This record gives sequence, structure tokens and C-alpha cells, in this order.
Amino acid sequence: MSDHDHHHSCKKRTFWDRRDFLFQSGGGIAGLALAHLMDKQGLLAAAQSDTCEVPVPGNPFTPRDPHFEPRAKSVISLFMSGGVSQVDTFDPKQALIDHAGEPLAESVVVRQGHPGPLMPSPFGFKKHGQSGIDVSDIFPHIASKVDEIAFIRSLYGRSNDHIQATYEMQTGQIRVGFPSVGSWVTYGLGSESSSLPAYVVMNDYRGGPLGGPTDWSAGFMPAAYQGTLFRAVGDPIVDLQPPEGVSTEQQRARLDTLAKLNEIDMAKNPGNSELSARISSYELAYRMQGCAPEAVDTSAESDVTKKLYGLDDPMTEPFGRQCLMARRLVERGVRFVQLFHGGLGNQNTDTWDAHSNLKENHTLHAKETDLPIAGLLTDLKGRGLLDSTLVVWHAEFGRMPISQRGVGRDHNPGAMTGWMAGAGIQGGQVIGSSDDFGYKAAEQRVSPHDFHATMLHMLGMDHTKLTYRYNGRDMRLTDVHGTLIPQIVA
Amino acid sequence: MRKVLNAAWSVRKWRLAPAAVVVLWASPAIAQSERITFTDQIRPIFERSCWNCHGEASQLSGLDLRTRDDAIAGGTRGTALVPGRADESRLYQVLTGLADPPMPMGGDSLSDGEVAAVRQWIDDGAHWDEGGATSAADALSALENSTLPPDARDYWAFRLPTQATVPASVTYSHPIDRFLDTSRGEAGVEAAPKADPLTRLRRAYLDLTGLPPTPEQAAAFLADTERGAWERVIDQLLESPHYGERWGRHWMDVARYADSTGFEQDYVRPNAWRYRDYVINAYNKDKPYNQFLREQIAGDELDHVTDETLIATGFLRAGPRVQFREKDNPERRHDYLDDVLATLGRGVLGMTVHCARCHDHKFDPILQKDYYSMQASIFGYVEIDHPLLDHRDVLSYRAANAEIDAQVEPLRGEIATLEEPHRNRLRLELIRERFPENVQRAAEKPAEERTAGEQLLAAQVLSLNPPRQRVIDALTDEEAERHLALTRQVEDLDRQRPPEPAMAEIVTDGDYRFAPDGPGDEVIGCPECRTPPDAPGTFLYEEGGPAYEAPPSYFLIRGDPFSSGSEMQPGFLSVATYGDPPTAISRPGGRTSGRRLALAEWITSRDNPLTARVAVNRIWHHHFGRGIVRTLDNLGKMGELPTHPELLDWLAVEFMDRGWSVKEMHRLMMTSEAYQMASAHDDGAALATDPENQYLWRYRPQRLEAEALRDAIMTVAGTIDLTVGGKPIFPFVPPEILKTSEGKGHWDNQEDGPEVWRRSVYVFRRRSLGFPFFDTFDLPDQNQTAAARNVSTVPTQALTLLNNGFVLNQAQLLADRIQGEAPGDIERQVELAYELALMRPPTADEAAVARSLVREQSLVDLTHVMFNLNEFLYLR
Repeated sequence: MSDHDHHHSCKKRTFWDRRDFLFQSGGGIAGLALAHLMDKQGLLAAAQSDTCEVPVPGNPFTPRDPHFEPRAKSVISLFMSGGVSQVDTFDPKQALIDHAGEPLAESVVVRQGHPGPLMPSPFGFKKHGQSGIDVSDIFPHIASKVDEIAFIRSLYGRSNDHIQATYEMQTGQIRVGFPSVGSWVTYGLGSESSSLPAYVVMNDYRGGPLGGPTDWSAGFMPAAYQGTLFRAVGDPIVDLQPPEGVSTEQQRARLDTLAKLNEIDMAKNPGNSELSARISSYELAYRMQGCAPEAVDTSAESDVTKKLYGLDDPMTEPFGRQCLMARRLVERGVRFVQLFHGGLGNQNTDTWDAHSNLKENHTLHAKETDLPIAGLLTDLKGRGLLDSTLVVWHAEFGRMPISQRGVGRDHNPGAMTGWMAGAGIQGGQVIGSSDDFGYKAAEQRVSPHDFHATMLHMLGMDHTKLTYRYNGRDMRLTDVHGTLIPQIVA
Repeated sequence: MRKVLNAAWSVRKWRLAPAAVVVLWASPAIAQSERITFTDQIRPIFERSCWNCHGEASQLSGLDLRTRDDAIAGGTRGTALVPGRADESRLYQVLTGLADPPMPMGGDSLSDGEVAAVRQWIDDGAHWDEGGATSAADALSALENSTLPPDARDYWAFRLPTQATVPASVTYSHPIDRFLDTSRGEAGVEAAPKADPLTRLRRAYLDLTGLPPTPEQAAAFLADTERGAWERVIDQLLESPHYGERWGRHWMDVARYADSTGFEQDYVRPNAWRYRDYVINAYNKDKPYNQFLREQIAGDELDHVTDETLIATGFLRAGPRVQFREKDNPERRHDYLDDVLATLGRGVLGMTVHCARCHDHKFDPILQKDYYSMQASIFGYVEIDHPLLDHRDVLSYRAANAEIDAQVEPLRGEIATLEEPHRNRLRLELIRERFPENVQRAAEKPAEERTAGEQLLAAQVLSLNPPRQRVIDALTDEEAERHLALTRQVEDLDRQRPPEPAMAEIVTDGDYRFAPDGPGDEVIGCPECRTPPDAPGTFLYEEGGPAYEAPPSYFLIRGDPFSSGSEMQPGFLSVATYGDPPTAISRPGGRTSGRRLALAEWITSRDNPLTARVAVNRIWHHHFGRGIVRTLDNLGKMGELPTHPELLDWLAVEFMDRGWSVKEMHRLMMTSEAYQMASAHDDGAALATDPENQYLWRYRPQRLEAEALRDAIMTVAGTIDLTVGGKPIFPFVPPEILKTSEGKGHWDNQEDGPEVWRRSVYVFRRRSLGFPFFDTFDLPDQNQTAAARNVSTVPTQALTLLNNGFVLNQAQLLADRIQGEAPGDIERQVELAYELALMRPPTADEAAVARSLVREQSLVDLTHVMFNLNEFLYLR
């Protein structure tokens, strides 16, 4: 099979058809008994199906009902790693202009060295849309979408350390060892796709975010609920395809032999469901080999669509491609897709962590993401997916209204702006506010727990009822906290 | 839900919906005559609608509504409560929409009746009656002095285990079988027959050493037809150095062991592996479990301290650490202490002690006071590097270094003097190059002319230093010559330093507030921003100085390091403390507090009801695939009940009676009939009665753990390097995976090859990146003490075994091995593949299928299939 038809054969790859299956299992009583057993468990249906979407027994992601009618069935999370400055993007502050160069009238704890004086934004702001919401000039395309976006200007966290703050936005806890929100969602709802991972993570082309795989770990939950890292180029999953030197035909032969030998073994080990689950996991793996590359293959998209995501411009191409992949994955039933923008390399330039040159840094990263994100919203809407997809955007923390050496801004967990769109959320609204300087969240403060509770709610889950028994406790994503954001859930 | 919320939202908006509020006024749901009490009417409202945000868990806007004093004191928006004046009380205003933001935020609004009740209660004086705490001091006192309920010890896990009488049986002689048989009889299930010898052999090998037997070992076992062959093979395996590698790994799950620190920096712990080797050796030597614990908790406080017992203390610091300004961040220090208490609690005592960090335990009789008593027992610990030299050699090593330091210091001083004027000039140049005009102006102005904002800017940039090379390049010729000469002298002296000795990462008593700067501390860039300790002191006990005293530790209100209650004395879990054990055991010379030693003695006392039970339960879990208490780390009320309580107690007492010998427990359990039962056993009735096999009517198959699976593949391929101990290895990880967490984490990537074909226990454990092969096969989180490992069955495992380069390489090497032994003879090759991988010849059916694969494809196709067979992947 050539690489070319490999990508298009997703819907045709099956392990066995029923006749072959009976034939290969040697017919006879054992074969029939096995076929019956597998039929009862739905395995045969899986094996015979010619699509990517079939229920497979033993799959921890079998779709589960939400607690109540959901507003969305999938999530695209856009994580801006490094920390986005709220006062330079979505939360303009006149006071920074009026009091430029003055000290912030409180004792300020900064991450690095000494605190500086108040610094106005180097960017202009304009009102956009019917709602007239202010957006900084570095986001012209997202600005055109404000009427579909609910901005939360009063988000705050607890840590000014990148990793702890990232953990908090991902898991609600600043400590390690807790499941990420994507894990909770897939644990709660399962996945609509049986041939793709339920929770997919894609990193910036420059590298992963600080914190690494712990950011999308399942913590104390079974490892199956952790995010699966998709690569942006080549096969999306490591070890998805056999390496060079193993032909498709050879792998086919190995799998057939494996199936036959395992059948013989299973007949000797009755009443052990784990063995049949493992056999079916090979079926799933085989199916994934066809389906996963197809799911992220953007070559089949029209030029118009590619342009919409900025695939024609090297500046926007990397993140644009990931946004486009995210749409394709959501379309195919993946429950939770998380894109990290900003990755390891030079922390000061390759992420939003603008300690040393805010203007250059934010101009660059805004340019890389602005068109792709706007394109994603447009495309989702055009395909009727926006209402069933919750799109969230945030960083791990905001940045200080005071300057770092006149050119940068230090970390500020006290206030940040995040936003949500899709899922039928009322766009064009601003929720909460930060203080006059954008230093601390002020009105209607929203914690990561509140943010998470609201996300779960949009997916039809009550954050107080989605529990996992661990350590003698019914653990929750929101611990003992979490208040719904009324304007979002309204 | 959506509608309800909409309604609630608008009702609370006074300006938006005046009519709704009018209705609210018009229909008080309670009669005027009814007296409103806090306990009956108000408290339930507060619990449901207020305390989530303004209570124990958090105090949003600085407002705490748990006590009357706190409510009157109010938060950032001022007082919340004016007793007698509901209209003026913010609490009432926000409930009715008279003030923003409307409350309760997000949740269901109060009913009309409730609002009316609150109004009347405030107007009546807002009394917090019925014994409720009325002031913060009272509330604290109540917390600090809470006591256990009288029946706390009635729960099974807190009673001391007693040696139950072994039930009588005509069928069985082994005590374990007699206990099991009794409960099987009660459940109405029957035991499976004995498994065939080779199944039992593979089980014992994988269980005790994590390695499958070779065909020779299998043949030897089959050839031993004398009585006691089974016992002999168990003894042999217990003598194998690979036993410690296997069972030491189980303990490392408990000890949350890793070779890096975790968090943002994820520094390498270069000597952590010495603790790993200590654990392996301890198991190999059958170090009594009580001694094993004593050394790990208080190896620096024992009567006979050795390098070995010091290395053992690595247990206390094996958890994740931020390694950044611990001194200035008491909350981090408290997180580390919590990590230790959680590990001791769950891992050793089977109790979720850490749940009592912020409040009395919700389910088990563990008081918050107990938590802070135990915290006081370990509070003095500090992490230090210990040179592995004789004491005398340590002193001479330090003296030699100090002598060189003394000579180097004036030279460095002179170097600095030469550089200083150039550095100052270049700094201003650098500021002019890199920073905007307002910053330059601030830096260049005389200090007294700077505005307040300019002072801040100046401080930020004047602490910068130009690159050292630029400074050196700017020296005059004469200065440069002198500089070079001085630098050479320093280098010469540095070369005379004694070689750095081998180091161990250990723990001893000290005062963390005075810890010298370590990695990460230098990035602060603002030494004066440091929080200085509030009292004079030293990091470590000083030779000849006054006896060591642990720094004070406090009861922390809601676990907040900034809200201290009373100073705490060391102590233990009250519910599990029998008699009056000492809480500190004074040490000769007063080097340490003796508190950890006392803690270790309490933990390993025969009067501790938990330790031995937890230990034998874990051993049982590994032998039988499931603990007698399934929740290995939780014997509390939220854990599961023991399936065989008498057996558990009997084993615990046996364990202690037999000198806490773990190997004795292996012998005891493995010689039972239960351990030797078949797992492949069809019993429809038993399956229907007890589908989960709680009563052990057949053996429970177990999927090989990640490490055992990798080791088994290499063993069968004949490629495994069985060297015991030493520095960790870094098997190949695809660069694109490393890239996901490059950062500061370290991975000394090695190509796949014989250097890395060592046992999996030696693979570097990096916190920020689980080794992918292990991760796929359910590596537990390396940051917390682990209970039983998860066993998942997901397609990525199949993909790894099908496509991973390591697996395919090993399949090829196995094929080469077989080809070498039976060139060209397909029939024999198939037999060999089965014998090597599964210790048995293939059946006729299997041989036919396998031969046709080899004929149509090649031998490597078959060897690869062998690694994917269910029979290979499971211990059965």
C-alpha cells in the first residue's frame, strides 16, 4: 500500500471480516465459541465495521452520558504559554497612561529582581464589533470576532511560577499529581471516536510548554486519560507506524498470526475479559494507524480553508495548521483538543514570557496566533461546529502593569484575561474587571476552579458531581471550590 | 438549569427587576413570632451559600464569615455585618441586590423566606448562638484542642492486630490456605487445582526477580523431583541479586523515587541513585523492615550511623522539590513537609494523614493537631550533600579546601578591584545600548534627583552586569597583564584542591532558613528582596556548639503558613498511639533533636497497629495481584475493608514475630497452595458467585509491569546486561519527545544498544518526562507515593509493542539467536521461540500457525509476535 492511499484508506481498514475470521480461527467449535463470545462483546462488530467509528469493548472511552443536556460536546483549548499581558491585549488601562513612570502604590512582589514603575501599553486599543469591546491593535482578526467572544477580565491564579501556574490552569492545583481538565472531561464523557485518542495535545513547533507532559497528565487517574501528544509533522503519534524495513504486508501477517495464537490461548483461559480487551486493543491500534494520519492530514482541505487559517504565510502557518488540525479532530469526535502556543527554546522570545521586550514579543506571538484563531472561529461556525464546541483561550498568568527595566513585564498571577467562545455562549460581553491598573482581579473574581467548573457545565457536567475516588476521597477537578460564571452559563 | 439561573440572576439585580424585589418584600415566609437562631436558620444558609468562598477554604475579598467578629471586621470592601441594622449590613445588601456584586455568586439565590430570615436575624443583633465560636481566638482554640471521639479506636485498623487462631482444616496444612479455605467455604466457591510446574515456575521467577526463567532454569526445575523442589527454587530466587531489583522497585513506587527534582528546573539529582541502590541492597540482605524504616526516617540519628544509614535518609527527600528560594517561601517548605508526611502516611501507615493539613480529617480519626505534631517531629530536617569519606578524611578534605579558599580570596579581591571601574562604565554603556531613553535617564541621574519611579527603574538596571569577557577586554594592557597573572594563580590553586569525593544526598537536622544558596537561588537578582530569618542561627549543628534545637513549628490555621497558631511539640497520630512513647530520643552530643528517631520508633513499634498490616498487605498484593485490603495506601474508612481480616492480622503478627523479615513472608505466602493454584481454570459457578475473585478461587493473572515487560523482552532475546547497581542509564528517547520537555531537564540520550540493555530499575527517572515505554505501560505518577499501579489496556500499548524500535530490535536479536541455534530448521526454530519466550513447546495448532508465518514471511516476524502474545504479557 503506497503512502498515498494509506491516508485515504482509513475507512476501509478492517482487521477481519466475519467470514475470514471464522475461517482463520480454524472454524470448529472453539472458533465458533470464540466468535460468539466476541460477538456478544461487540468485538466482531468492531472488527467488521468499515468506518473509523465503532464501539469497541474494553475501551475506557466508551461515550458516557453527561449529567444534564450539554451545550457543547467538545473543547478546543488554546493555551498561550509564558503568560499574556492583559493590559496590552484585552484589558486596556487608562491609568497606566495617566500614571506612567510612577510606582504602583502597593508593595509589589515580582518574580525577578526589583519592581519597576507603571508602564503604559506600547500598543493602541480600539473598540470593535457591535459590542464595542476594546482590543489591542496586535489582534486585528480576533478583534473582528469580539461579538462571539466572552472576555473574562478577572481571572486570577495563585502562583507566579510558570509551572505551578500552568498546573493550576490545567488541573486546579499548583502541585503535581492531579489530572488535567482534559483528563477530567474525557473521564467524564468518554470519546465519540473509537479510533482516535479522546484527548489530544499539540505543542508549539518550537517545543513543549514548561512543565512538559505533566501538564496533560492524568495524575492519579488511569493513564488512559492522559493527553496524547500529536506531532505537527510526520505521523501524529510516536510508534504509530512500523519503521522502515517492516512492510505493511509483513505487519498484516504478524497481526493475523498474533490474533490466531491469542485465540488459541483465550480458549484455554476462560472468563478473563482482560484478555479479550487486549486483543481488541490491537484492533484499535490497527485502526488508528489509518485514522490518525487521516485526521490530521490538512492536505485535503481547500485552498480557501488553508488561507483562512494562514497556511499560506510562514508566520501563521505553524499555529494555523494546528488550529486546522484541531477542527478536523473535533469533527471526528475527539473530545478535547489542546493547543499550546509558545514553547521551549529561548523562553523570552519563543513564549509569551515578555520579561525583556514586551513590544517585540507580544507583536510576534499575536501575529502568529491572531489570524489562525480567528480563522478557527470562522471555520467552526461555517461548518456548524461552533455551537457544539467550547473554545477557551488563556495563559498561565497575566503580566504586571509595572515595567521590567522599562521594556518588559514580569509575571502577574493577580489578574489575567481569558476568554470563551462557542457552545452557544453569549459573545460580545466582558465579565468581571481588574483594578484600575490591571494588577489584581477586582469585580467578580474568577479563579481557575470557577473557570473549570464553568467549562464542565458547558459540557453537561456538574463539577460537584464529577468525582474520581482516590486516596479515600471523591476527588474533583474543582476540589471543594468552583462557582459557575453566571454570564457564561446563562 | 439554564432557566433557573437566568431567573436567579435577574431577581438579584435590583435595578433590572424591581418588581421581583417588591415581591420579595411582600411575602416574608416566616411568621414574626418565630425566633431566628443562627444554628437553626442561618447556619444552613451560610454553609450552602457563603462559606464556600468566605469560610475555611477561602476568604474571597478578604472576607471570612465564619465568626461574628470576622463578619464585623469584614474584608476589602469593608464591614459585612452591622448587628441590629440589616439595611446597613453589606451581607444583607448583596443578598437582595441592593449592592454589587449580587450574592451568592453563581449559585442559586436565597429563597424569599431565607432572605427574610437573614434580615430579621441581623436586626435581632446577629447572634452566633448555640455554642458556635464567636471569635477567631475561640475558633482557633477549638481547632487546636479538638479531641477524638471516644469510639475512634473501634475501627478495625486502629486496634492492635492479634494473632487469630488458624482455622482447622482436613484439606490444608498451610495456615494461609486454612484461612482462605474457611472464607471460600462461606462464599461457596472452590479452589482451583494446582497450576502446572512451568506456569508456577514462570510465576515465581517473574514475581520474585521480574525476570522470566531461561529454558535451562526450567529444565533444572523439572529435573528436580526430590521433595522440596518448590521451596528450593524459592530460596534460590530469594538469594538472587535480582530479587532486590524487583522488590526494591516496588518500594521505590512507595518512596516516590526519581532522579530529578521536578518542577520548572527539574534538576538532576546526581547522587539519588545511591538511595536506589541502598533499597535494592536492603531487600537483597533481607534487612528487617523495621530497621529499613528506621534508617530511612532517622538514619542520621541512630546509635550506629554509617554511610549506609545516611544514604537511607534519601527517602525523606526523594519527592519533588522546586529548588528555588525555599528559604524565602515558607509555603514551599510546608509543601515539602507535607510530601514527607503524605508519603509516611499513605506509604507506611496506610493513612491519609495529609488530609488533616487544613482541618481535622473528614472521615478518619486524625486530628489537625496530629498532623502538626507529626510535622514538628520532622520539622528540623534539612537536605545536605554528604561526602562518602571517613570522618577524618572529611575533616582533612574540608581543611584542604579551606586553606585554598584562604589563598584564593585575596587574589579574587584584587581581580575584582581591577575589573570594578570598567564594569561600572560598561554597565552604563550596556544600559544605553539596551534600554529606552527614560531608563537611561533614570540610571544616569544622581540618586537624589530620581523620582520615585526612576528609583525603581534605576534599581532594576543598575543591578545588571555586562558580560565578564567585555570587562576583561576593556582592561588596559598593564591591568590585563596583572589580571592574567592573578587568574593563573587562582587556577593553579584550584588545581591543588583535593578531588571531590563521592557524595550522597541525605537528610539531617538543621534550620532551613539558614540554608546556603543552592541551584536556582542565584536567579533572584535582588538579594535585598530576601526574607531574612527573624532570629539568629546556623544552618547545621556546629561542632562543639550548643545542642541542636529544632526551629519552632506551628499549628497552621487552614494549613496557611502565614496563619500560625500555637507552637507545636512533636507527636504522632493519637488514635494509633498506645502507651506513652517518647516523642524525642536525646542523642549523644546533641547533634540532632532525636525527634525523627522517636517517630521511627513509634512507627516500627509492635504497638503501632498500622505499620505491619500495611507492609504484609503490600507483599500480599504483589504475590496475589490484589491486597487483602485492596487500597494499599488507605486502611482508613474511605479505603476498602479487608477481604480476609483474620488472615491479615495473622500475617501482621507473624511478620513481627519473624523479625520483620520480608523474605520470610515471601516463603510463607509462596509455599501456600493458594499461590500455586492455576489461573486458567474454568468454574462457571465460582465466576458467577465471585466474579472479582475476591475469595481467591483461582490465581489472578497480572499483566507484567512496565519494567518487567522490558526486562522480559531482553531476557528472552538474550541481550540483557544483568550488572547490579550504579549510575542510571538513558535508553533512547525519540528527539521529538525529548523536545516536549527540553527545558532544564536532563536526558543523556543513548542510542539503543548493549550499554542501555540493563534492567529497567536503572533507567533514569526524570520527573518532567516519564520514559515513554514505561509511561505507556502505566508507570505511576513519580511525584506522589503510589498505591497499586493502574493496569490499562489501551491501543498505544499495542502500537508500542508493534512498532517501537527497541522492541523490533530485540525481536531481530531473538531471531538471530534462534537462527544461530537452529539454522534453516523451521520446525526447531518455532519450538525454540516458544521455549525461550514461554518456557514450553508449542501445541500442534500453535506450531502450525507459527510455522506458516515463518515460511511465508520470516523468523523475525514470529519472534516479534512472541513479544505481543497475551501469554507473554501476563504473569499467570
